[in-house]
Amino acid sequence: MLKRPHAAWLGLAPFLIFVLALELLPLGGLVWSAFSDAGMFSFANFARAARPTIVTGFANSIGLSLATASLGTLAGLVIAYLLVTGRSSRWRDGIIALSTVAANFGGAPLAFAFIIALGSTGMITMLLAQVGITLYPGVRIYSISGLVVAYLYFQIPLAILLLLPSVQGLRKEWREAATSLGADPRNYWLLVGLPLLRPSIASCFCLLFANSFGAYATAWTLTGSSVELVTVQIAALIRGEVQLDPALADAIAVLSMLVMAASILLQRVFSRRERTVSR
Amino acid sequence: MSQNLSPKVRAGLSFRAITIGLFLAFMILPVVATALFSVSIRWDRSILPEGLTFDWWIKVTSERGFQRSLTNSLTISLSTVLASLALIAPTAFWVHTRVPRAKPLMEVLVILPFGFPAVVLALGLVRLYSPLPIAVVNTPAMLVAAYVVITLPFMYRAIMNGLEAIDTAALSNAARSLGANDVQIFLKVILPNIRGGLVSGSLLVFSAAFAEFALANLLVGTRLKTFPIYLVEFTRFDARQASALALISFSAAWLVSMALLSSSARRPSTRGSSATA
Repeated sequence: MLKRPHAAWLGLAPFLIFVLALELLPLGGLVWSAFSDAGMFSFANFARAARPTIVTGFANSIGLSLATASLGTLAGLVIAYLLVTGRSSRWRDGIIALSTVAANFGGAPLAFAFIIALGSTGMITMLLAQVGITLYPGVRIYSISGLVVAYLYFQIPLAILLLLPSVQGLRKEWREAATSLGADPRNYWLLVGLPLLRPSIASCFCLLFANSFGAYATAWTLTGSSVELVTVQIAALIRGEVQLDPALADAIAVLSMLVMAASILLQRVFSRRERTVSR
Repeated sequence: MSQNLSPKVRAGLSFRAITIGLFLAFMILPVVATALFSVSIRWDRSILPEGLTFDWWIKVTSERGFQRSLTNSLTISLSTVLASLALIAPTAFWVHTRVPRAKPLMEVLVILPFGFPAVVLALGLVRLYSPLPIAVVNTPAMLVAAYVVITLPFMYRAIMNGLEAIDTAALSNAARSLGANDVQIFLKVILPNIRGGLVSGSLLVFSAAFAEFALANLLVGTRLKTFPIYLVEFTRFDARQASALALISFSAAWLVSMALLSSSARRPSTRGSSATA
């Protein structure tokens, strides 16, 4: 009787072996070799990672992720609210469908579409030039601010999808109750609406942050290696584009996992608060 | 009161119209520009393209590299779906019915790939397996395995949602009373009942594998060109043909998402899985 439940764990063996071999061991191996130098425990790889280009890479990646996560969350929140309060359900369904598609767009085709639209001879660039607005060389799609624009293409739809359920959960009665107690729209949002949404806003922000931090294909197609980003640097180090230094790549990867872990940890903290608020 | 409100309502309406309009323009213009560019004869001097042609489409699709990379990507993505189904479906069923205590552990293992960039997984696999005397890293099988890892959350959640929506115990007991064994129950009773979850999970895995670039580029690189790698190479030397390729890629993603929406509309229980994409 007692033995059977333990034996049942054996049924999970194929999956656990797979996960061990292709997920846990590779990541564990990275951490191990990041902390070792000639077989000894050492911080040497991390010390080498303190060079200016890598510090810039982290600053760029974190800055890009903060910018696209906050702009994406903000725009997603406004659009989700407009969709929920709108009367036409056809528009709502259409935009949800569009968002589902666009949240999965990304990578090379997206980067290329932005080159065609906003590149130096792009369609929108030329249209704007016609009405007297010159983008180049001031605003370049091939730069880090260009990456912000390109990333928003998948960040905003993702934020809409993530925020829509909780915005839908805001009941009309709460607003009416607040209004009947003398709250103006600003009071309602500051004291009722946003506090209720805060947990989902925070977890949406963290997810968007991680999504942007780990992105590689869009950035690489759009800017090559001209913009220093963590993922681009790791890829360059294992492919030996600039120099072949896998041990340094390990250290950068471990640092980037720390950044990701921090964002996930924040998400946990906020989603825990969600339960106490919603009850 | 209503007279007092109407300008406000009108202002609200126009704010709504402008915001949604801007959003739609932002979403649609890059795709429209790419589509127009792919059928234009020449378009870098004037506002509108100088004449339309399907030459670039014909040229790019008749290329041997195009067909090969498309076949490669379809093969890799389909293999990923099959491998993922074969690994996850029995495991999820087993966890759900026999070892529910393993659920929290499973959740962590399955969500973990969301916690690190694909580039990091590629680095981890290269570092762990390239010192081996036999080549494993540069093989399509390794790419498929890596895709199964990064799509674990999609497949597991979709299947588990399906399982949690049905009464597996009652179904299993009914089947067992009719003389079915465990394997028969799983294949003939459980799987058909969670078809919605299987379909939406498969579609998510397929589209993720089809569009993936980082792992393909770092693990197999030039040995086995997938469609996204081919596309990136093409953007470097022929923009018009590359825009036709980009459009094919957009349409593929669009088709899969539409299939996903309609499959999840039929089965509301699997809806949550599409939102995490």
